[in-house]
Amino acid sequence: MASSWCWNCLSRLRPTPRALLPPSATPRISSAPFHSTAVHYAQPAKKKGNSLTVVKHRQSTSLRRKKKKVADRGGRPPAVGERKALRKRIVLSNPNALEIEGMLELSPETMVDSRLRGTVLGLPVPMIDQLRAVQAFKPKQGWSIFRRPGTVLRRDTIEMGRLFEHISGEGDEAQKGKVVKKIVTGMKGSGKTVHLLQAMAMGFLKKWAVVTIPDARELVSGDTAYAAIEGSNPLQYVQPSATSALLTRTVEANRELLASLKVSQKHPALKMLKPSSTLEDLAKLGFNDPAVSWRVFQALWTELTATAPAEGLEKDFKPRPPMLVAVDGLAHWMTESAYRSAEYKPIHAHDLAFVHHFLSLLKEGDSLKNGGLLLYATSFSNNPNPTALKIALDRLAARQAGISASSPEYPQLPAYSDADPRVLELFQPAEKAVSPLELQTLGGLTRDEARGFMEYFARSGLLREIINDQWVSEKWSLSGGGIIGELEKFGRRVRATASVSK
Amino acid sequence: MVFILGVNFPERNLLKKSLETFFGIGNNSSGRLMSRFNIHPTCRVGELANKQVLDLTAVLSDMKIENDLRREVLNDIKRMKETGTYRGRRHALGLPVRGQRTRTQIKTPVKLNRMERRL
Repeated sequence: MASSWCWNCLSRLRPTPRALLPPSATPRISSAPFHSTAVHYAQPAKKKGNSLTVVKHRQSTSLRRKKKKVADRGGRPPAVGERKALRKRIVLSNPNALEIEGMLELSPETMVDSRLRGTVLGLPVPMIDQLRAVQAFKPKQGWSIFRRPGTVLRRDTIEMGRLFEHISGEGDEAQKGKVVKKIVTGMKGSGKTVHLLQAMAMGFLKKWAVVTIPDARELVSGDTAYAAIEGSNPLQYVQPSATSALLTRTVEANRELLASLKVSQKHPALKMLKPSSTLEDLAKLGFNDPAVSWRVFQALWTELTATAPAEGLEKDFKPRPPMLVAVDGLAHWMTESAYRSAEYKPIHAHDLAFVHHFLSLLKEGDSLKNGGLLLYATSFSNNPNPTALKIALDRLAARQAGISASSPEYPQLPAYSDADPRVLELFQPAEKAVSPLELQTLGGLTRDEARGFMEYFARSGLLREIINDQWVSEKWSLSGGGIIGELEKFGRRVRATASVSK
Repeated sequence: MVFILGVNFPERNLLKKSLETFFGIGNNSSGRLMSRFNIHPTCRVGELANKQVLDLTAVLSDMKIENDLRREVLNDIKRMKETGTYRGRRHALGLPVRGQRTRTQIKTPVKLNRMERRL
């Protein structure tokens, strides 16, 4: 708008009469704006009030977000059981890893050779199927980074090898047919499960009967069928499908042995059995028919622990070999199971006939008549951690160290503890009896063993380091004193990228 | 497919979940039912023996579930409305019955509590 002063002559102009001006659609602006653009060129004003500012009556004021649409990737979802199969897959060989020249195999000679201590011995190739059958390998153990599966020969392994020799009757005749009962504990990653695997491998080498329970949890987690045994007091429960699975595992792994042994006892409950049938035939009866699997298992057990034939069946009797019983994850058997009784009360794991059978082997007396080894390992990766088991094992260690039960140093129950009396009773020795149970605690490797173990990684092409005493010593300390699981992490870690990132 | 109380269940389904599809059977009842016949918690419908199916069906048919239970609940509400109790009135007005505040969060009673109540 023009000023009403004429700046040239400083005289006041007469204002133009309003009527002469062209009519405008926009209203007249009386004050000067910041800019001179006409109002009608301006963008139309936004509507006031978006969804956040205008709140309807009784509407929540919390933040509302748009849901992200899940992109349809197309394709079908994985088939039933496919993902589980992938998760449980065990790969035992890696063609990219270097083959180690002159790698020795585990054999009856090498497993007791103390000169080989610290070397990694390969598992014999024909035995791998047997070990797979008893589920000795676990999915997360890292077998898949080497050309072939192998285990390190450590002090505990050599001692166990000697034990196998003694029980088999080689060397010391007095120890033949002895029963050794051990509970294997140790820190996380100390190699308890692999210790069991080595035991199984030795069992197969020595032609023992190997019975394993690869995961104790499966029997108490409520995932297999169960049924009450009529007339048992206190009421016990059988697990038919788990028993079938055990029979299948045992036969697949010990086929040669079971096929060579004939039935030597009378089994009135199993009518279809002939005197000429082998133990393999006997076990096969329980494969497909879960209804009889428990009876078949009991019959097989009496056969394997038989010392003499029954009357009339002497003809084909062969002496039974010693047995190895290996259980992994013992702690799961020391609590109440996920099963419920008909009155909806939780069933204690010790009331399951299957579990009870294997736990009763730990008690005094020769539970394995032909001798053998019981190895029951605890686990740290999947542990219900019952108080009672912890105290019972502490007490066992104390007794082993020569502390008497009346001594003040003997581990006591904490005040107000709810420790399970049944578990404590299981590990309590009878009056004045020497408990046959031993506690074996796996510790770390020694420096020499650690060096052998790390050299195995280097020779497989996984570890690109010059392995000298100083380097091994450093890693030995970093791994908490040679805990083998921690050492493995140093071995398989790719160092090149770590140094670049610094 | 397995028939339990006139309903056809696919064999792959968990028995516990299948039982809980019946109106009036929840976590507790289904757990008790299964342990009564020694059926493990992760049992699939297809794993049941014939006898177990019959047993389950026999017990279920004796229980007050599905339409019988619905009718009973509706009758109870109706009775409260007819006798003019406070709870009956709240049911009829579409407001919460058990003393909840009504300033916010009463979507469920608004949805459910009406003259022609449905379950």
